[in-house]
Amino acid sequence: MAVKKDYKDQKLAERLRDRKYYIPDSNPEFIKDVEKIGRTAAHMCYQCGTCTGSCPSAPRSSYRIRLFMRKAILGLEEEALTDPDLWLCTTCYSCTDRCPRDLAPTDAIMAMRNLAFKRDIVPRNFLKTAQLIYQSGHGVPNNAANRVAREKLGLEAEPETTHKYPEYLPGIRKIMDHYRLKENADRILAEGE
Amino acid sequence: MSNRHQYAFFLGCIAPNRYPGIEAAAIKTSANVGIDLLPLKGASCCPAPGAFGSIDLNVWYAMAARNVVLAEQMKTDITLICNGCYKSIWEVNHKLKHNDELRDGVNEVLKEIDMEFKGTVDVWHLAELYYDPKIVGIKKLADSVTRPLTGAKIAVHYGCHLMKPAKERHFGDTENPMWIEELVAALGAEPVQYRNKMQCCGAGGGVRGYDIAHALDITNEKMINLQEVGADALTEVCPFCQLQYDRGQIEIEEKFGITWGLPILHYNELLGLAQGMSPDELALDLHAVSVEPFLKKIL
Repeated sequence: MAVKKDYKDQKLAERLRDRKYYIPDSNPEFIKDVEKIGRTAAHMCYQCGTCTGSCPSAPRSSYRIRLFMRKAILGLEEEALTDPDLWLCTTCYSCTDRCPRDLAPTDAIMAMRNLAFKRDIVPRNFLKTAQLIYQSGHGVPNNAANRVAREKLGLEAEPETTHKYPEYLPGIRKIMDHYRLKENADRILAEGE
Repeated sequence: MSNRHQYAFFLGCIAPNRYPGIEAAAIKTSANVGIDLLPLKGASCCPAPGAFGSIDLNVWYAMAARNVVLAEQMKTDITLICNGCYKSIWEVNHKLKHNDELRDGVNEVLKEIDMEFKGTVDVWHLAELYYDPKIVGIKKLADSVTRPLTGAKIAVHYGCHLMKPAKERHFGDTENPMWIEELVAALGAEPVQYRNKMQCCGAGGGVRGYDIAHALDITNEKMINLQEVGADALTEVCPFCQLQYDRGQIEIEEKFGITWGLPILHYNELLGLAQGMSPDELALDLHAVSVEPFLKKIL
């Protein structure tokens, strides 16, 4: 039998009811998604702020990792995933090492970035790196000047990677295609032109 | 020959394709201390943990796993020279070994290219092999030095993804570690301490590409802290950090009008110099910031 908890003083109860924190566009599934992808119990965050205090990005921007943790718990999916600050985490893991609740705020941020990408919200440089790897196997590929430098060092012009063995590239492309990463990267970049 | 150790050498991107001197130095200097680095044929980008991890962690797991499987096929442990690569290759290897659900998911994808992650090899950063007395150790490293870096004050940048997050790794303290300073002291140089040693270079997580001024501001803070203690050079074990500190100093000059001129050297370049390799053999001329002031001090 469900018991409704309230003050007996009706006037007081009514006044307090109005003050209850109520968010119409909150998505309670958001924190569950963040925890599943990030593999961390983000709902345990008690907002001490050690994360923001350890963050190299905090002193030079409006990025506050504590705020993202709170928004995740409150289900403020829209606010969190559309905030451009989401992409200012350098993933240095200082907050993760210092978190007194042993959470991984860094991994919660990574999870939120994954969720943002599912809505096509992602800075272009991330997609360009993915395209480069699809083409060459490398995020930072070889170039003509570097080939000359390598040979001067007694190394082969192409390193022992997909550069020297391009026959490995189809396998890499198959993995990326499995997740439709190249297709999505191409599409999002083209839409942004 | 029985006391020699063999590893599959995972190159990554920035060392072979931007600072090939690091690759050349790693091979030669390791051979001098009993480690043979074997080519890991067909390896790719680790893939970049910031870029790929941010977009879709599942692709990151599968792509890193493919690189690990190449070493499994060689029946050889992997060693590498970059913290970013360490995060991808070590961490994915570790996670897949300890999480059946994750491994099954990855193997389903790898099946499409006739591969399977079995969890039969380990992954090591070359610097930790140098430090490990069972493999090399400080004494053997010091014995390999033919040209001690006497009189040089060298600061260490540990970077982020080698040792952090500490609870998943095996390096211990991440607030004020000292083991790479020991590796520097073994070369005859004087390691110097400075403010906020563990601060990130600023480049990671895709921030260098997303907001370069923001990344450089973090880099610039490190430069301020290094100048305070009069360091002759900064050494690191991550070519991506090296790129950010080396090319970043030129970008700081262009964007903020501040000139630092601090030589940045990967630990393997430093070890190469201490073992008598010439600046040409290390392609130090490819550095954006001239290494000359440092070379004058030690040669």
